Amino acid sequence: MTKLILRRLVLSVFILLAVSVLVFCATLLLPGDPARAILGQQATPERIAALNAQLNLDQPAVVRYFLWLGGLFVGDFGMSTAFGGPVSELLGERITASLVLMVLAAVVSIPVGLFFGIWSALHRGGRRDRAVTWVSLTLAALPEFVIGIALVTIFATSVFQILPAVTMAPPGTPVWAIPSQLILPTITLALVVAPYIARMMRATMIDVLDSGYVEMARLKGVPERQVVLRHAVPHAIGPVAQVIAIQLAWLAGGVVVVEFLFRYPGIGQALIDAVNFRDVQVVQAVSMIVAIVYVVVNLLADIVGILANPKLRSAA
Amino acid sequence: MLGGAVGAGSLGLLAACGPGPAARVDMSGGPRSGGVLRVGLSGGSSADTVDAHIPVNSGDSARVINLYDTLLLRGDDFELVYRLAESFEPNDEATVWTATIRQGVVFHDGKPLTADDVVFTFERITDPDDPKSGAAGLGMLDEVVAIDDHTVEFRLSEPNSVLDDTVGQYSAGIVPRGYDPENPIGTGPFKLQSFDPGQSTVLVANHDYWDEGPYLDELHLLNFNDTDAVINALLSSQVDCVGQIPLSLVDVIGSDERMEILNSETGMWLPFTMRGDKEPFDDVRVRQAMRLAVDRPGMIEQVFSGHGQIANDMFAPYDPDYPSDLPQREQDIAEAKRLLTEAGYPDGLTVELVTAPIQSGAVEAAQVFAQQAKAAGITIDIRRVDTTTFFGENYLQWDFAQSFWYTRNFVPQAVSCVLEESPFNETGYVDDEFTDRLDRIRAELNPRVRGELIRQAQHQLYDEGGYIIWGFGNQVDAYQNYVGGFVENSTGLPLSGYTFRRNWMGEVS
Amino acid sequence: MSENPRPDELGGAAVSAPLQPSSADAAVGADVKESASKPRSLMRRVWGQSEGRVGIILTGVIVLLAFLGPLLAPVLTVYAPTEFADRPFQSTGLFGTDDLGRSVASRFLAGGMLLVLYSVAATAIGMVVGAAFGIIAAYAGGATDAIIMRINDVLLAIPQLVFAMLAIVVLGPQGWVLILVIGLTHAPRIARVARAATLSVINEDYIRAAEMYAMPRSRIILREIVPNITGPLSVEAGLRLTYSIGSIASLSFLGLGMQPPTADWGLMINENRIALSIQPWGVILPVAAIAVLTIGTNLLADATARANASTNVGNA
Repeated sequence: MTKLILRRLVLSVFILLAVSVLVFCATLLLPGDPARAILGQQATPERIAALNAQLNLDQPAVVRYFLWLGGLFVGDFGMSTAFGGPVSELLGERITASLVLMVLAAVVSIPVGLFFGIWSALHRGGRRDRAVTWVSLTLAALPEFVIGIALVTIFATSVFQILPAVTMAPPGTPVWAIPSQLILPTITLALVVAPYIARMMRATMIDVLDSGYVEMARLKGVPERQVVLRHAVPHAIGPVAQVIAIQLAWLAGGVVVVEFLFRYPGIGQALIDAVNFRDVQVVQAVSMIVAIVYVVVNLLADIVGILANPKLRSAA
Repeated sequence: MLGGAVGAGSLGLLAACGPGPAARVDMSGGPRSGGVLRVGLSGGSSADTVDAHIPVNSGDSARVINLYDTLLLRGDDFELVYRLAESFEPNDEATVWTATIRQGVVFHDGKPLTADDVVFTFERITDPDDPKSGAAGLGMLDEVVAIDDHTVEFRLSEPNSVLDDTVGQYSAGIVPRGYDPENPIGTGPFKLQSFDPGQSTVLVANHDYWDEGPYLDELHLLNFNDTDAVINALLSSQVDCVGQIPLSLVDVIGSDERMEILNSETGMWLPFTMRGDKEPFDDVRVRQAMRLAVDRPGMIEQVFSGHGQIANDMFAPYDPDYPSDLPQREQDIAEAKRLLTEAGYPDGLTVELVTAPIQSGAVEAAQVFAQQAKAAGITIDIRRVDTTTFFGENYLQWDFAQSFWYTRNFVPQAVSCVLEESPFNETGYVDDEFTDRLDRIRAELNPRVRGELIRQAQHQLYDEGGYIIWGFGNQVDAYQNYVGGFVENSTGLPLSGYTFRRNWMGEVS
Repeated sequence: MSENPRPDELGGAAVSAPLQPSSADAAVGADVKESASKPRSLMRRVWGQSEGRVGIILTGVIVLLAFLGPLLAPVLTVYAPTEFADRPFQSTGLFGTDDLGRSVASRFLAGGMLLVLYSVAATAIGMVVGAAFGIIAAYAGGATDAIIMRINDVLLAIPQLVFAMLAIVVLGPQGWVLILVIGLTHAPRIARVARAATLSVINEDYIRAAEMYAMPRSRIILREIVPNITGPLSVEAGLRLTYSIGSIASLSFLGLGMQPPTADWGLMINENRIALSIQPWGVILPVAAIAVLTIGTNLLADATARANASTNVGNA
């Protein structure tokens, strides 16, 4: 089992390296002169040459790649042409903001998903189950911005006006300074992620409820609630944990559209601004951050799956 | 905080079904002292500055106008008003201007204002190693000399009869000798307490201010990333006023009981620029055809939602010598087509227009014009870029693009954009006859003669210039009904020209 | 929308796909008709399910709207999609005016065609490229298989939307870029499905027979393998179509897809949302259309999955 985990780990590292090469190619392919873009109207030939040397832009591509890669390890992500400063400075606060949103979304979606999964499994085949199925299918189909806009229309602008439609705190104030502005973005993300958790929980619960040891517990006269909570759910958690981890990984990329919709000052918004301004260093930095989170959490998901699988566990 | 009390019950965007109950505010008592005014602005960035002489964006202008004073300034009706100068008079040849400096004015650090500080200020602005924004119009300034503690002479290398206009720009704030932007000192109604570029500026009242006000204790200038956020901030009372709201939302914000709208007619213009030295715009017939393809009332309706006036391809509408008798150009598709055919484009013309959100309404104007021009066989391909690219290496070189200007009178405006040495000659307009005439205008002291020359210069631009000036937009701001002191202002600068010293907070009952 | 990773893509332990019912579910509620005769065709099995019917109808309505809309727009709404009806955000006309004063109704009718076309094209490209690589990987086996799967892993490590943004930063927001990029992000996932499906048929007798007859491998692939994996592939196609629509609409919403003055649903939503509280139709109409379309295609995909899983589904 440890060999399996180790293999996954090594594979993940290689994958991330390959991703970094792919991401770095974006700089090479982009037209235009980054030094000139940074200097703007103060661009003189001497200043451009100086900045080129400072940013290592006059080195061959391979060297630049390794310099950039090395920089990633120390937290130096390069210079932003639009912001005029180090990318790490630009992204610092934003990473925190995005993390807050992702954590909140996870905290909301996991219990909700688990609950509805268990609930519909307990009422399988019935009206409640079918209702949950239809709702899940609907939510799973909708693009996130559609869900977001629907929520904004209902709760912020047209039906009720009880929640803010966009984040409005001036830049510099932390996002939790006005908690009400966190509600709709969190719910949007939660609604995208919860259906998968619910359906997975349902499927696993159904299998577990049909299994031998649950039947054994029932035969022993254990009350149904205890059967569910003490005997069924713990056995169902394993595979579901893997799905949950995957959904969390997805959140890393999923925040982009939600942050744009709610003008939320996170790294997703930074990515979009950077694409609009052709600020390649920022695009690269955010892409790598997102890819790293994605791969790491997926790796954890795999590990959880391996650990949770009793067959693999005992095969040590 | 008053704002919090009013805003407590209502979050979120305004609904079509009606707003929450407005707090009762008594504004009849006139200005009261105290309070903190929170101003919502957008467009700031890490390039924001508090340097008196290089304001670039709206927030910079707000900071500069409140931290510093100028010798003269444009008032609400665009009249020139004496500020730190009690008088500013030219000699007979307009080669020497003499300013009498107001007595009893002190800087924020207590040091009294003297003529020497004025000398230093203009030396700083026109420093050849690091010229500031105002240097362009002061090219003829030879030296500035302090005659005594309160008299300054501006000695020119050539005659200039409109130096007072140039000196009356908000980018010419008077600073003390030894001025350091890191620790900005001025004579303005507010002092700087803290400055976070791209985020917020906190200013506190200067209680030794020489003029009326300030009534407020503190002034907070808060930068928001975009219009959506700043409007939401206003509607949920995170800020007390917003500089420049989208014209398409004027009606709905105004219908909110808690809000007031400040709608000022201005001479702000958002022209299309055609470079006269590039094909196909080097042919005056093509330029005129483009101007004839515009449906000006249509542009005002679609781009400004009606909040503006049509223009006639000439700038400086508040200049007393603006030729309002020249026939108002209207859309004339037939004539446009005829001109194009004559110029060698019988089957129409295809051009690329570079647009960017340099100002609210710019991109919309491009789209609307592109639609209108189709009727004349002109295909306009819109190339939308970001502001960074727009102001990047190709800035002022774009064959066909747009621009944005606040209200100015003829001479300062012309000096900025239609002379060979202009810093912003975006239409590549170089004409010896025009330059000649402008020199004569600057030298001419007789207002009647000067007026006639200005009319002639304008007529020339009307006939062959590279600008398509289709309208003058209104400057519309919104503020909560408990803020007093805002008046309509024609300079184009938001919120009554950012003169916050006149503002006060009403009492919420 | 960023595509949500479906749990059946887990590299590790095999997990049953939760949005496809277990056979127990399919049996529940459906009349099980044991029949020795030829099972009904896939299409009929899909139509036989209420899910399938709803899916086909919803998708059909929107597709019809998308293609007929541009022709009918001037007729039904009096205005052309680029004509100015009144000032911005007024209530003139059927559904008011948009941010430039054009008729919302007219632009709504004209705004679906490109979205549908691009989505179908992207899905098609993804299917072709993905299936090709998946089949080749499975059939060739060995090193080819390993290499292709590792490339897959790398591509899968970058969230779809981030990858699209990288491409757009470099190449610009043009139609062919959108189609190509979205198609390529689908390819790895389709490749996995194709590979799994191919692996399951590769050892069948008819393949062996064909090989013994020295049939060229390319013909074996086209004649024997492909027809036998259409089941799982068609399920994937349905899902990919749903995600294509979501992704392209999201990219337009972010301003990175269709550009003004094109009439496009995603673009309209972003252009008009600043006035969501006074003229909601400019946002609500396109949001509803995208929602209905994605729900329809997802229901279709789901019904196809069930029909594919069991020939006893969708009876009576």
